[in-house]
Amino acid sequence: MALNGDEEDFEWEPPSEAEMKVIQARRERQDKISKLMGDYLLKGYKMLGECCDLCGTILLQDKQQKNYCVSCQELDSDIDKDNPALNAQAALSQVRERQLAAQSPPPPHAPQLNGGASSSQSGGTVPQPRPEHCEGAAAGGRALLPPPVAPTPAAPAAATTLAPSRPPVSPQSSTLRPVLQEAEEAVLTKLRWATTQLQSSASLETSIQLCSLITSCASSLRSLKELSQ
Amino acid sequence: LKKYKLEVMLSVKHLHLKHALQTVCTLEAVILRSFGPEGGQVLFTRDTGQAMLSCSGTQILKALRLEHPLARMVVECVWKHSAVTGDGSKTFVLLLASILRLIHAAASKAPGVSQWSTEAAEAATARHLADKLLAFAMTELDDLICVSVAPHGFCVSSEDFTTKTQLPSCPNGFCVQALLSSFFHTRLDYVHCDFLSGLACELLGHWKFQNDTLSFALQFLNDNFPALHTQVSGFPVSSSHVIEGQVIHRDFATPCLQVNNQPVKAVVVTEYLQPKLLRRGDMLDLGCGGRVTGEKSIIPFSAWTERSLESVIATLQSLGVSVLLCAVKQSAAALALAAQAEMCLVECVSEEELSLFVRLSGVAPISDCWMIQPENVATLTFCKPIQLGAHRYADNLITSFKPCSLVICGSGEVQTEQYASAFQDAIRMLFTTWEPTRMTETTALKKPVQSHQCTSLNAHNLTEDTVCRSSDVYVLKPGCVIPAGGTFEFLLHHALLQHGRSCSASNYTNTGVGVSQILADALLTVPRQIYSHNLKSFLQTQTRVTSFTSNQPHHFMLLKNARGTTEDPEKGDEPSKLFTLDSGLESVSCKHQLLLAVLQCLTICCVDSLFIRALIFKPAAYLYSFYESKIYVRCFSLFRSSIMAAVKITHCLLHLVLV
Repeated sequence: MALNGDEEDFEWEPPSEAEMKVIQARRERQDKISKLMGDYLLKGYKMLGECCDLCGTILLQDKQQKNYCVSCQELDSDIDKDNPALNAQAALSQVRERQLAAQSPPPPHAPQLNGGASSSQSGGTVPQPRPEHCEGAAAGGRALLPPPVAPTPAAPAAATTLAPSRPPVSPQSSTLRPVLQEAEEAVLTKLRWATTQLQSSASLETSIQLCSLITSCASSLRSLKELSQ
Repeated sequence: LKKYKLEVMLSVKHLHLKHALQTVCTLEAVILRSFGPEGGQVLFTRDTGQAMLSCSGTQILKALRLEHPLARMVVECVWKHSAVTGDGSKTFVLLLASILRLIHAAASKAPGVSQWSTEAAEAATARHLADKLLAFAMTELDDLICVSVAPHGFCVSSEDFTTKTQLPSCPNGFCVQALLSSFFHTRLDYVHCDFLSGLACELLGHWKFQNDTLSFALQFLNDNFPALHTQVSGFPVSSSHVIEGQVIHRDFATPCLQVNNQPVKAVVVTEYLQPKLLRRGDMLDLGCGGRVTGEKSIIPFSAWTERSLESVIATLQSLGVSVLLCAVKQSAAALALAAQAEMCLVECVSEEELSLFVRLSGVAPISDCWMIQPENVATLTFCKPIQLGAHRYADNLITSFKPCSLVICGSGEVQTEQYASAFQDAIRMLFTTWEPTRMTETTALKKPVQSHQCTSLNAHNLTEDTVCRSSDVYVLKPGCVIPAGGTFEFLLHHALLQHGRSCSASNYTNTGVGVSQILADALLTVPRQIYSHNLKSFLQTQTRVTSFTSNQPHHFMLLKNARGTTEDPEKGDEPSKLFTLDSGLESVSCKHQLLLAVLQCLTICCVDSLFIRALIFKPAAYLYSFYESKIYVRCFSLFRSSIMAAVKITHCLLHLVLV
């Protein structure tokens, strides 16, 4: 290869600050990965000659012959945290950015509604991609979210509540009350539906998910009531 | 070129730079917590339940389960380096990781990265930098070390290594024992390091004779160490001692008569005394010597073998032999006859011990029992059984040559083994310190220092003894040590930065700047890790060392003109003030070889496809020499180019076999 590193390249510019931050973050992440892998090696895991398909990290294998990818299953993903569909924080920041760009005072209820509703949605969908890509031990870090089995009752319900609030909203203060009332009604309907479902449900997982839906509905109601005062 | 036996296993594996970086950083994370004076020990537990505590980098790395080819190769490189110098395996991984990180950072900033596919460009830059680093190390690094680092060191004399002088009180305390003590301190617990270093000096004292150099004795000890030491478990370490004679690690097969005062005669037998009746694969053609009898049977044959055995024993008796050292297990009839003839027999002696015995006594072993000559007979001062721990061994003392061997005690088997390996590594380290010019072939290959380069190398540091001539080659004097704790790294860092600046100033080459900078930055990680718990000490040491580099050192006795003017080995009146009372010592040539080994391993890490032919080298010595490794590295570069043309072989199992 004829790459000659000797000559000065006057077109090359040093990376900007944002890029430096990205580089720095990536380096720290790599250091964390190496440290974790070193710990696992000392615990008796085997370092394989293959890499993870998703992130390119070297795979480890434990004594039960199960493959384990350190970065996918232990560390938070690097890129997913910027994806609004999967992360509540990203959704929040996206909505805030759009509202700032529209140059109107951002309504306090909208982000919270987004936050409340999207968390229940993300709770249902985030764990799903993980087991497909990496076999092996389930991540401990995902314990906060409800188990991924059959999230269907929650997901369409959340989707319907989410759909009207997804497009960037910038209501004027005069239209605040009817919107709040609509929101309250929708949440109450959902709460009633969830309660009836809960009474009649026989499966453990569905019950747990319905309970979490009720919790999020209650918290949405609470925040709506605070807003209306 | 030596002849190498070639065995070929082909495999292709595509590597990317980030994988290499990740692998090496993982290995670094493994050994990092055991590194430095505050490093901890790793507890290994085998499936059998045996536990072992170790802080030796080689042992830790070898115990990991690694299937990744690059990781295995790095561990092999570390192991081979450690087999030569005996020390520095953790520093090896640390330096390798930091240089690789710097190269990776430089490669991702390289111009032209955005134009092509990033990985290919990065890999190319990395390879280029690695090759440049290696070239720099081969040509200019030892000059730098000789000029800028060695003057701050001190030459330990090989004459007074048996004296056990107090370390802190006077400068004469920089004897071999101090060096060994610091070495054992890094490897084992600090309680026993003084005792063990004293023991090592005692052993060296016995084996160094008036006319020999210390390096000869060290080489001999290194080659024969397995035969010259006995491991005894179940005793505290402090009961290790040196005993007279060579210990044969087998017991007598026949009862031994103790004739204490008279010398005994011994022979070494490598074959069976009684011709073996039937070996696997032998075909016995029974005929009865031409006599015509009706039957063919085995009985006359066995009678013949017994008669021949009797005659052999009779010959031995006539020569006055009373001890037989056999390499094989003798038959019951032979044992019985030997016992009857009052001869002591030791069976199944290992090849190493027999060869040592043969070498020390000067006799030839008996290969054919029909021809026993007087020159096969050795005279021993004594040959008696000795009880060491739970085992009884035979102990010989040869008249002409008084060997002594080491008994190493430890509380458990595993610990005793660790002490023994630490001892052997100490001997290797001493050998490297006293024989820094082992890579004579590479020094001959490198070009002499040009006069204008000389001026860029701080030539005003040299004294009139070592005038900078245009074709001088600088050689490090044997026994050069320097205070431990990062001094070498600080000094070399400073020297590299100056070299880089002066090279760019004199416009000698543009490439020299980049590599000196990379190497200088990488070197600082070692003291940073040593002082990771105590940043203040890091700064203190750094300021102390840099203050010395600015002054002219008064201590020039270490440079020798390689042109061959025989100078007396001058000793400095007092060592440089860099030596504080509590600093340990470390060997300069070990560090130098470590750097070279790291840079060679680096070039291997930066290949983009591992197209490996597993070459099984079988040179006469099992030592890894830089000449061999140059072949090894050259082979890699050859194969790299052959990949372009060759057919791609996909996914064979990668099996690295490196001797």
